[in-house]
Amino acid sequence: MDIPQKLMILKRLLPQWKLLDELLMDAEAIKELSLMVKLQSDWVKRRASGLFIDPFLVEVKVKMLGKESLASALLSSWHPLIASEQLTPRRLSEALDYWNVLLPLSQRMKELEAAEQMEEKTLTISDLIRLKFLSDKVFDEEIKRLHDELTEETKGGPVDYWRFITRDNYEETVMRAYTLSFLISNGLANLIINPVEETTSVEALPGPGLKRGGKSVPISIWYQKWKELRGVTSE
Amino acid sequence: MLPVSEDPTISRKLKKASQLLLYQHHRLPGAKGWELRKILGKDYMKIVKLLERRLDDLGLEVKVVYEDGLDHPSPTEDDLEQARFYVLSKSPIQTGEASLSGWRIDTLAVLAATLAFITSKQGRATRREVEDLLREKFPDWKVDQDLNRFIRRGYLDEDEEGNLFIGWRTRAEIDRKTLLGIIAGSSADAW
Repeated sequence: MDIPQKLMILKRLLPQWKLLDELLMDAEAIKELSLMVKLQSDWVKRRASGLFIDPFLVEVKVKMLGKESLASALLSSWHPLIASEQLTPRRLSEALDYWNVLLPLSQRMKELEAAEQMEEKTLTISDLIRLKFLSDKVFDEEIKRLHDELTEETKGGPVDYWRFITRDNYEETVMRAYTLSFLISNGLANLIINPVEETTSVEALPGPGLKRGGKSVPISIWYQKWKELRGVTSE
Repeated sequence: MLPVSEDPTISRKLKKASQLLLYQHHRLPGAKGWELRKILGKDYMKIVKLLERRLDDLGLEVKVVYEDGLDHPSPTEDDLEQARFYVLSKSPIQTGEASLSGWRIDTLAVLAATLAFITSKQGRATRREVEDLLREKFPDWKVDQDLNRFIRRGYLDEDEEGNLFIGWRTRAEIDRKTLLGIIAGSSADAW
């Protein structure tokens, strides 16, 4: 497609357009032309990379070649990847802990059957207020209190997420995690995840104006996890 | 000034780079450019080049596979950050070492034919087209079994509409230019 010619036409006609709709159509035409340029660029790159070849020729050659020749062609172009799976002492220790607390299958099956009969529901803030777990005022105060505490603790830089939320009491720990999620959603705190080191840390932000990112990160907390965080070994 | 090998900071970064590239941290081996930058610093490409020099003695190399699957002779910082870095054997497998791949010779032939065909179709072909080509030489059960095996191993990708694509492992391991060159330039022989 002759892109410069199309652009010249658009340029020549531009002064004649008076209505917004006409200008919008022009803008759309330019967008389509730019997409065409990108596609042409990709096409040229692919051809230049040497991977352009007539599919019919390849099909004929593949049909004509013996399996030894095809295998040999593959081996001549195969550079195997070198990578190693690893087991660290830490992961081994976590696996052992997991094994130690794992209930017998028969018992777990019973729990699963019981759980299947219960319907899962997501509770909203208004549900919690209606159920008298929270009141509007108390929740607002709790958010402010936790933000102040986080601001104080992260003066020197981000702190470990789990260390920040964990308390002696399981209910309090869950409540802190829940409240912290509101701080993060409202741009009052920032969650920093390091996928390589497998660490999660959190830092206070001064206000919603500095809210960053836009993705959701699910973090699960359950009783056994809390026990591990607290180093509790018995019920 | 200390030689590079004795500079403690460079040595530490080289070790870290080799760990990142050689130990599998995620579902896929290797590491993304942004991960290397985060751990090794903004001059991470210099560390990668140094590591490559060390690996060269072992017959290994670092390969950069860009997100769009194309060659980038002059990559931008963004291209590099989104690319995945792997360590590969520098030389291809010799024909006598075919058994090292762990696959039978006819499975290797099926993979060669499939990759050449899909590459010639600009990296995408319907499963039906590929099956029709392969079924001229192999029984249905083998074609199906091998295609599924290639998808599991990452040599191919398949979407919900039954289209086959070149997979991440092929982009990393197979020099498709060489493969196509050999197949297109070969003369016929009997099956």
